[in-house]
Amino acid sequence: MNIRNSTPADLMNMQHCNLLCLPENYQMKYYFYHGLSWPQLSYVAEDAKGNIVGYVLAKMEEDPDEATHGHITSLAVKRSHRRLGLARKLMDHASRAMVESFKAKYVSLHVRVSNRAALRLYAHTLKFEQSEVEAKYYADGEDAYAMKRDLTKLLDEFSEPKKLFLPFREKQPAQVTPQVAVIEDTTEDFVDNENSQSGLSVLAEDNLIKEFKDSASMT
Amino acid sequence: TSQPLPPKEKTLFNRILKCYEQKQYKNGLKFAKQILSNPKFAEHGETLAMKGLTLNCTGKKEEAYELVKRGLKNDLKSHVCWHVYGLLQRSDKKYDEAIKCYRNALRWDKENLHILRDLSMLQVHMRDIEGYRETRHALLQLKPGQRAPWIGYAIANHLLKDYTVAFKVLEEFGKTQQNDYYLFDEEMVYEHSELLLYQNYILQEAGLFQQAIEHLETNKEKIVDKLSWLEYKGDLCVKLERLEEAEKIFTSLVNRNPENHSYYQKLESVIKPSNEVERLQIYDAVSAIFPKADSPKSLPLTFLTGPMFQERVDKIMREQLKRGVPPLFVSLKPLYKEQEKVKCIGEIAEQFIRSLEANSKFSPDDEEIEPPTTLLWARFFYAQHLDKIKEYEKALQLINESLEHTPTLIELHVLKAKVLKHLGDTAGAVASMDEAQSLDTADRFINCKCAAYMIRNDMISDAEETAAKFTRENVSIDEYLKEMQCMWYEVACASAHSRANRYGEALKKCHEVDKHFTEIIEDQFDFHQYCMRKMTLRSYVKMLKLEDSLRSHRFYFQAAKAAIKVYIHLHDEPYQPGDRIQDEKESSMSNAELKKLRNKQRRQERKKAAAEERKKNEQHDKSGKKNHTDTILINPSFCNFCQISNPLEQAQKFLAPLELYCSGKFETHYLAFQIAERRGTLLVMLRALLRAQKVAKESDMPNLHVCRVRFAKK
Repeated sequence: MNIRNSTPADLMNMQHCNLLCLPENYQMKYYFYHGLSWPQLSYVAEDAKGNIVGYVLAKMEEDPDEATHGHITSLAVKRSHRRLGLARKLMDHASRAMVESFKAKYVSLHVRVSNRAALRLYAHTLKFEQSEVEAKYYADGEDAYAMKRDLTKLLDEFSEPKKLFLPFREKQPAQVTPQVAVIEDTTEDFVDNENSQSGLSVLAEDNLIKEFKDSASMT
Repeated sequence: TSQPLPPKEKTLFNRILKCYEQKQYKNGLKFAKQILSNPKFAEHGETLAMKGLTLNCTGKKEEAYELVKRGLKNDLKSHVCWHVYGLLQRSDKKYDEAIKCYRNALRWDKENLHILRDLSMLQVHMRDIEGYRETRHALLQLKPGQRAPWIGYAIANHLLKDYTVAFKVLEEFGKTQQNDYYLFDEEMVYEHSELLLYQNYILQEAGLFQQAIEHLETNKEKIVDKLSWLEYKGDLCVKLERLEEAEKIFTSLVNRNPENHSYYQKLESVIKPSNEVERLQIYDAVSAIFPKADSPKSLPLTFLTGPMFQERVDKIMREQLKRGVPPLFVSLKPLYKEQEKVKCIGEIAEQFIRSLEANSKFSPDDEEIEPPTTLLWARFFYAQHLDKIKEYEKALQLINESLEHTPTLIELHVLKAKVLKHLGDTAGAVASMDEAQSLDTADRFINCKCAAYMIRNDMISDAEETAAKFTRENVSIDEYLKEMQCMWYEVACASAHSRANRYGEALKKCHEVDKHFTEIIEDQFDFHQYCMRKMTLRSYVKMLKLEDSLRSHRFYFQAAKAAIKVYIHLHDEPYQPGDRIQDEKESSMSNAELKKLRNKQRRQERKKAAAEERKKNEQHDKSGKKNHTDTILINPSFCNFCQISNPLEQAQKFLAPLELYCSGKFETHYLAFQIAERRGTLLVMLRALLRAQKVAKESDMPNLHVCRVRFAKK
């Protein structure tokens, strides 16, 4: 699957993907609000035909009382495209952009307490910490865990770009071992096997009504 | 104004304005009353207008119009009255009228910043870009010390493709700013960075590549969006033939994101490999750095052939089957355009299954023993393969065998549903999907698929009941999905209604979809000013372009197609009120008592019925679609959609955007032909026919031929 930064032209298809996968839905204006306020932060995964199979919709929180931080409004991957590690990759790109473009110190999100698959992704693979429980956060009355991931050391995790070893450019016949040392890439861990058997498609989602306050403050 | 107020009343009037701004409508009306109750000022134009505007905000639209118009009549030389009238029209979305009012307001107060700003927003919204530039120019001359007037004037020039002016305006603006002003505020750092990137974007659009690359280099430190910086620079290097540098840039980009396919294309275009082997080395080089990245492994499959293809695809299949990755087939699906690859993949899968069945190994001479799940996933993969190559019966058999071992694997039920659908057994497909859905009720994706299959089988009330599990309880499912602009659902319902000749219901859904597009276009209004403040101008300009062709989206195409077909039908056989025949099945479905008897019991019934129907179908042919009686079923509440005198005009309205944005599609012109034929416009028929001919594919030939014959007969 192709993973790239989203553009305004993706927003309608992100909404479609959201409506297929998650119970918390938003009107198009809210997607435009994200895409036009923090264009660097949202990413999509698309198949060969250009259909969006996963996305992360993210924003910056602009509360002057708190440290600068990003927030994941919504993250979803179609069930038909699970276990490819897309959610983690989407999250990593969004987090990196939060740090680079907005100097975010951490990223936060909400997740349903019943969503064990997503919790495992956040806690184990992405090193999120559970900060508190927000009672009855969702419209259907379910509680949410508020989670945070520290981003202050994120940029150190990304190693310097490595050179591509192209044997056909070497004068001697191709060598078998690459000349570039391949270091273990800490950010490229696959989602562990257990978590993906569960069928929960909900990865992260925000409650519409709470979120809409932000959207209203836009104008 | 021709009606100046004395100081006391003037103060009151200012209070009305303030109350309006602060949304204290009650107080505003109180102050208005105080002025108007004085007989001397009972007909004071501006006060009457303001009273109207305030009332408009409390929902009294009619009264508002009356008051505002009366106020204006009393004081035609007041910019306030004209401005208020403009605001009223704007709130009513009559943007053209509003623009006229603002223009009149400006005649009496040329330099009113507020009016100029409002006018400019309306102009860009209505895409009167020339007018927009004029207004923004006036604003810039009045307020050269502020940021927004510079930005607005630059955008206007950019939109008019006057790139040099746009760039120079931003350059000049930069000079008016202190050199490091942006360092004082974190938010400003981002905004400044966005402004520089916007400026660079303009240079690129102007084709000034050398200047653009220099601009990027000069401002490297100030641009915080490192990804855009790299992507811009890489593309510019290619355009300026600085290939070595470009290679470096794309190498760092692929290091940032080894799953972005465009980076590979670009790397290839600068490295210029001379054959397949060299080409593959680029991908392998990335794989060496990121052993777990998917793209460098899967992308070469599109260009590799013969034994090299076989070796690579074999490797990927083993890896993913071992790890139990259900989307393996989804990843390989793009390769199914090539017959040879299809055959190769099929043979590998078959061998795997045989060997895994015999000795739990991928191939007999392997060392490693695979767990039983590997065989399961291999069969799952092969069944998808068989489905894709239209070996439906074989696929079904394999799925049924697998289901005997693992009856709870949702993916198998989903696949079974898909195969049954391909066999034409829509009822059986629903039963399988319903089974899948019942195994994981917390997954909306499965839920939606199930609802979609039900709609396809004309079980709309069942679909509603299923989909309602994920919507708010206090709102009806239709209302909720409409509010959330859920267009796949509306389009699916429209098609189902149309197939069952429920024209009114079908049209209602089509118009809902159309309305969403109108809403989304309306939504941009607030962003004109917002983006100028946020400085996200590249995205803003992209958004404007997107909105201009929004109806090119496939959901609009599908809704328009359904609507046009219904309207053509209504033209051929106009709806007669009273010839309504109630479908017995329908009426019993809506019975509340029956609804309670659903769930498990029903699911089993459905399964049984489906099996029976399948048997029946097998004896006949493969198109086991339910034969619905051709009765016209029109619910009274949908009558107004059908009782129209001009169905062809309505059809034409839906067609217009298709002709604009979907001219590459055969169906667009096929529909245009059918409308023109009924309108008797020969030239339009011919035009549609010629256009259809141009884009027709093999499968369109029968319809194209019909058009030719019908045209010839005229």
